[in-house]
Amino acid sequence: MKVAEKDNAVRDLLEEEYRRSRDVLAALSEKAARYPKGSLNVRKKAYKGKEYAYHYLVAREQGRVVNRHIPKAELPDLRRQLEQRDKCRKEIQAYRKRIAYLEKLLQLPRRGGEPYE
Amino acid sequence: MNVLRTVHFPPPISGLLRSLSEVGFFDRSLLIGSWVMPLYQELYGARYLLRTLDVDFAVHLAHPQKQMRADLERLITDLGFIDFMGAEGLQKFTAGGYEVEFIAHRPGGREIAALAIREWNINALPLPFISILIDFSETAVLDDVIIRFPIPEAFFVHKLIVAPRRLTVEKREKDLEQCTALKYNGPQNLDKVICYTWERKRGGPSGEFEEAASAIV
Repeated sequence: MKVAEKDNAVRDLLEEEYRRSRDVLAALSEKAARYPKGSLNVRKKAYKGKEYAYHYLVAREQGRVVNRHIPKAELPDLRRQLEQRDKCRKEIQAYRKRIAYLEKLLQLPRRGGEPYE
Repeated sequence: MNVLRTVHFPPPISGLLRSLSEVGFFDRSLLIGSWVMPLYQELYGARYLLRTLDVDFAVHLAHPQKQMRADLERLITDLGFIDFMGAEGLQKFTAGGYEVEFIAHRPGGREIAALAIREWNINALPLPFISILIDFSETAVLDDVIIRFPIPEAFFVHKLIVAPRRLTVEKREKDLEQCTALKYNGPQNLDKVICYTWERKRGGPSGEFEEAASAIV
């Protein structure tokens, strides 16, 4: 069976990219963990012919679903943080995919999804 | 003015280059690293296909008291990049798997942590010899966007100087491979750049360097 000759320049580049991707994944995971967990939920209530909207942050804490009321003043900041967290998660997914691909290419033991130590 | 017709950057990077150009970042600062190689390929025929996914910019340091010219942190995050802290508090940005960082010239031999750049509201990694790239640069137009980058001779000399100082063999080899790709272009200003680095006497160029440069050219 013919075996392709190892190209060190390409392999080195891939290894460097692998290390860089793991570093970025670690930094992004750390950043994502600092954002609030859960999603925003709106409950609408009618009272004396008027409709009122109350915002809650719904998150799972120690196996229980917890609804925390969010005052109107805190809403824009929370929305921005949740958007940032989602962007972070999306980027984390992209890096996880890349790491898994590089591990396959470089024939490294799979560590893809686990946090970087 | 050089016009680039065949160079294509991936969407997050082309958008970033456009925005940086619009705020005047490329008036004195420049694109560096392996992403300059496609520009050299089109302009000078230096063929080098390997590219890393980190995009580096060398920042020209204005007076520390200079007013903020543009908020790059905001501008870059508004483009969809996520900012995060790398090692030693260095600010980096990522989008679509590409990583963006800023590098500034570090005079002297002492290692210092990330450098806050008030003019652009970012922080940059201070590294020695970056002034070689900043002081010898040119511009090109790509889809109406003006991009500043080091002249190939400066890029070549910079790589030769930093290669022996690299901590990893891979990076050293990559530097020298890029030099090899550039030698076919026949840099015309090489002597000028060598003299410049020589005169600065910042612990960089040595007799060995001069020999290495002559051997490659």
